[in-house]
Amino acid sequence: MDGLAKVLLRGGSVFGALLAFRLIAFASVDDAQSFALQAAEPYVKEGFQVREDYWGGDLGSGEKKAVRQQLFKGNEYWFWMGTEVERAKISVHIYDSEGKLAEQPDSWEKGHFAAAHVIPKATGSYFIIVEIEESPEERTHWALVYGFR
Amino acid sequence: MSLFVKYFKLSAIAVLALTLGAHGTQAPQRIDVKQLSKKVEDVVVPLPNEVFGALNKLGSVNWREYVRTGKGSNFTERPRIALLLGTVIADGFIAVQAEDAPAVKEIGQRVQTLAKGIGVERSITQHAKAIVEAADKRKWDNVRQELDRTQNSVQQAMNEVNDEKLSQLVSLGGWLRGTAVLTAVVTKHFSTEGAELLHQPDLLVYFQTKLNAMPEPQFKVAIIREIQEALEQVKPMIDVGNARISPESVRKVNEITARLDYGIVTKD
Repeated sequence: MDGLAKVLLRGGSVFGALLAFRLIAFASVDDAQSFALQAAEPYVKEGFQVREDYWGGDLGSGEKKAVRQQLFKGNEYWFWMGTEVERAKISVHIYDSEGKLAEQPDSWEKGHFAAAHVIPKATGSYFIIVEIEESPEERTHWALVYGFR
Repeated sequence: MSLFVKYFKLSAIAVLALTLGAHGTQAPQRIDVKQLSKKVEDVVVPLPNEVFGALNKLGSVNWREYVRTGKGSNFTERPRIALLLGTVIADGFIAVQAEDAPAVKEIGQRVQTLAKGIGVERSITQHAKAIVEAADKRKWDNVRQELDRTQNSVQQAMNEVNDEKLSQLVSLGGWLRGTAVLTAVVTKHFSTEGAELLHQPDLLVYFQTKLNAMPEPQFKVAIIREIQEALEQVKPMIDVGNARISPESVRKVNEITARLDYGIVTKD
């Protein structure tokens, strides 16, 4: 390797490190939301209307957060969760007002994406539990969007 | 990464998840909800068309009966404009249910005027244009999406200038109009399933909490006080636990929400 190539390579890795630092420093709930929306994309073709509003925040590894949502019997819902931390492992699950798991068996989680599917048996409040199961970051941004049809 | 590759990757994940059951740790079958926060926070207020969609599945509804257009009153008080804006956006969803393109277009323009009155018109100009274009092409799903975007953009613009309380009034206006129409439909053709759609106690508590946190003089308008009192009356009728909501309750909630709706759209 000649000298110029070495300089470029070293410069490149410094640039790469700086870029990575910037990405970490400026990563936000908005980034997490864009991943949650990516997870939702394939479902739009199936007729799901994805809401513009969403939940978001940051959690440490092993931390959970519960949000409540009004769901209507007769509709079908998917909740999609995402984070920009690619090596994170996240999950989302849905419980009814009595605390009983209410999601369908096709709910899934895969690395920094997770989704839960619910066809409510009753109209009312449901608990959506989001969790950062593992993450290399101290705090991990997450976002949760939902769609219905 | 190109959009196609991203889409392909996500589709592949979804398909893999379905076929292989991409579950990590098994979710517990039960959780103790008493340990969860009792505070109703982080609520995403459902769009009127979430409840209209559910209502539609119970039987056909003549949505044209509920379409409302017209310029209505002009207000100068920002809380009143915010409430009216939410109501008019809900009217947009009703017009979409009725597939009434001229009404949708008129409502799109009205939304723009109201947004101007509250200083957030720049955030919604493109959405208002998209609503008109989609209505012309009768692409109703696109109109629904743009109505949601409109409401979201208006509320984000309000939040950015620390007008979160106005933003909450937009949601409240939409919820009241949606509830007035839901109860009108169910009163006309009562069904237990239709009445059950009114079972929204946490949402009611959420709005009550937000209204109670508006002590500032600018929110001391008669209609807000009326709404606060009315929500107290509505609560026991819809917070029924596992019991059924009676036809009488549906009728009463309709009377109350229709009165409030009239108060929102009409000058004192």
